[in-house]
Amino acid sequence: MSRRVVVTGYGMVTPLGVGVARTWEGVVAGRSGVGPVRRFDASALPVTFAAEAPDPGGDEGADLKLRLASAAIREALEMSGPIEGPRTGVCVGSEIGRPDLRMVAERLGTREVPTPEELGAMDPAAPTRLAADLAGATGPSSTISTACTSSSQAVGEGLLKIRRGDVDAMLVGGVDVLVDPLMITGFAKLGALSERNEDPAAASRPFDLGRDGFVLGEGAGFLVIEAEQTAADRGSTVLAELSGFGCSCNAYRITDSPPDGRGAYQSMSLALADAGLPPEAIGYINAHGTSTPMNDPSEATGIQRAFGDHPVPVSSTKSMMGHLVAACGAVEAILSVLAIREGVLPPTINLDHPDPRCDLQHVRNTAQAARIDHAMTNAFGFGGSNGSLVFSRRT
Amino acid sequence: MSSERLAVTGVGLCTPLGPDPVAAIDGGGTAVRSRADLAGLPDDRSAEVERIDLRPWLKRRKDKKLMARAAQLALAAAGSAIGDWPGDRAHLGLFLGVGREAGDEGESEAALLVAHRRGRMDVACVAGPCRDLYPPLLPLKTLPNMALAHISIHLDVCGENGAWAGSAGAGMTALRAGAWAVLEGRCPAALVGAADSLANGGAIRDRFRIGGAPPPPVGEAGVMLLVEPEAVALARSAQIHGWLRLPPLSTVGRRPAHHAALGDCGAADGALAVALAILRREASAVVSAADPGHPALPVEISVDPGPSCYTPARHGENA
Repeated sequence: MSRRVVVTGYGMVTPLGVGVARTWEGVVAGRSGVGPVRRFDASALPVTFAAEAPDPGGDEGADLKLRLASAAIREALEMSGPIEGPRTGVCVGSEIGRPDLRMVAERLGTREVPTPEELGAMDPAAPTRLAADLAGATGPSSTISTACTSSSQAVGEGLLKIRRGDVDAMLVGGVDVLVDPLMITGFAKLGALSERNEDPAAASRPFDLGRDGFVLGEGAGFLVIEAEQTAADRGSTVLAELSGFGCSCNAYRITDSPPDGRGAYQSMSLALADAGLPPEAIGYINAHGTSTPMNDPSEATGIQRAFGDHPVPVSSTKSMMGHLVAACGAVEAILSVLAIREGVLPPTINLDHPDPRCDLQHVRNTAQAARIDHAMTNAFGFGGSNGSLVFSRRT
Repeated sequence: MSSERLAVTGVGLCTPLGPDPVAAIDGGGTAVRSRADLAGLPDDRSAEVERIDLRPWLKRRKDKKLMARAAQLALAAAGSAIGDWPGDRAHLGLFLGVGREAGDEGESEAALLVAHRRGRMDVACVAGPCRDLYPPLLPLKTLPNMALAHISIHLDVCGENGAWAGSAGAGMTALRAGAWAVLEGRCPAALVGAADSLANGGAIRDRFRIGGAPPPPVGEAGVMLLVEPEAVALARSAQIHGWLRLPPLSTVGRRPAHHAALGDCGAADGALAVALAILRREASAVVSAADPGHPALPVEISVDPGPSCYTPARHGENA
């Protein structure tokens, strides 16, 4: 019998604010965190808006990614209490490891040598090392890089490692910062971004007929998960059970999702089976819901296939926070836990005209009160990786 | 830890010394060479696979242009390892160690050169001439998880998966995660391994430009093993190259020792050491590898006495 795994802490920084409380307040109010880019003058770019995260400050040097991660990790650890030691591991979803293009461009011109801090920040494992340091975790640590699925899989890996007895506790999550002139230019050239420059707050509109692409966002989300017995021994407050994880590959195309939603279906089905739950037990799905023309109907079809005749309330919180890419899985996992704990289902805002190809039981524009015992959250990535997590109420 | 062992029923290697590099390595051979295109850089040596022939596995030949070196190495190794495995690929697992995001092969250089003015990034330049020159598909070529994506797409692999980024420890994490997934019945079998290229010209140039060159010589490799439950492999009379077991995390094994012959193969180093031990037909060995600053991860292999059943695919070699 494998060990049960529970959530005992979480923290986040999102475009809706620093800390879980601010984000949750914004999500329940249906507030958009999308607006004109403030960090640099984007007026000449094809897309002039994004979902920028507020800078939480801190002492992590010049790198915003590490400051976002640090703030989220510290909040999670403050909630969980100390988890240090060799029986604690770390797994972080982080998809940036490329040489910083801005830096490469500047070095091409000046031949200046970057600082050690600049070099360290470009390492995809930098947030992983930070997480291990802040938690005092000396057990196994790893960095998952599956684009938008990264932190969902990081949470899943944490679950499996605890079940297997490799560790007793894990700090898991993800961070991403992509609001940058070159990233906006590249994604816009791909046709992936919404170009609703005249009305940024209405740009992210998952499942709506008028959607035209995703909104680039940034943020960090981290959870402390541990074996149920470990949590009990420590006297931790159990926030929810992490009860299931499933993942799959589409084997379809690099940028497109299969119209039959097969990868999404497989991922959700595996997560349900892993949790030992029938479809009708799930009371809410926090969808990947990117607001791109192709993702949303593919995911809707996958949900229809997985849940059959059991309509389940669905929303995409990306309508308010944009797409946090490598961080989205962890942030949306935390929101799913909050939906269970607070009895409130976050809405999909800007859902004025639901696409008939996305025929789901939408939580449309306004949050809904509902007592649920189990919630699922999906994350699907460029390249066709899919991850689904199930959280359950613990009394 | 698990006391159960898994059968290794497929081995795929794509290295600078070809798909069967053991004899060359043990004979003191090396693929490390000076490269004319790196002349003028602080170090001009690398160990590189000369030719990667993906034709047996590509669904569309033009897709090779969308693949970074690491993805090509990964697909070549995975295609060889999967062979004629008769199972359902819809549930075949895929667990891959990958490096940091590859530098491009110079495709973005023209765009980046016009993106700055007086040494600083200029958004107006990015929006103008840089935008026109920037290759739209470049991020999709260089993202580390694209190696996993291309294996999935071209070999129709759809099961549980993961791509771990880092150096040698990433490949070992992938090996262990995949082995666990099979042992737990989360997938009937799994492709496990790693691929990385520190040797491509773009990556080397980028690293020297930003001052972060890895210690030479740099190399590249793709390494994949097909692992499945012992009972299943025996029941279908599969050719068994060796056995894989997960020792406790505290087990100390020997570290990869092929750098003089193949260069530093980054995330592929640990998995490559495991595969080389199998191809050497070592009766028993524990291999460990770690990312800097992280605990080492061990994998144990054993090989039954008798002749090798490994048939190297001729997809890429320097010989």
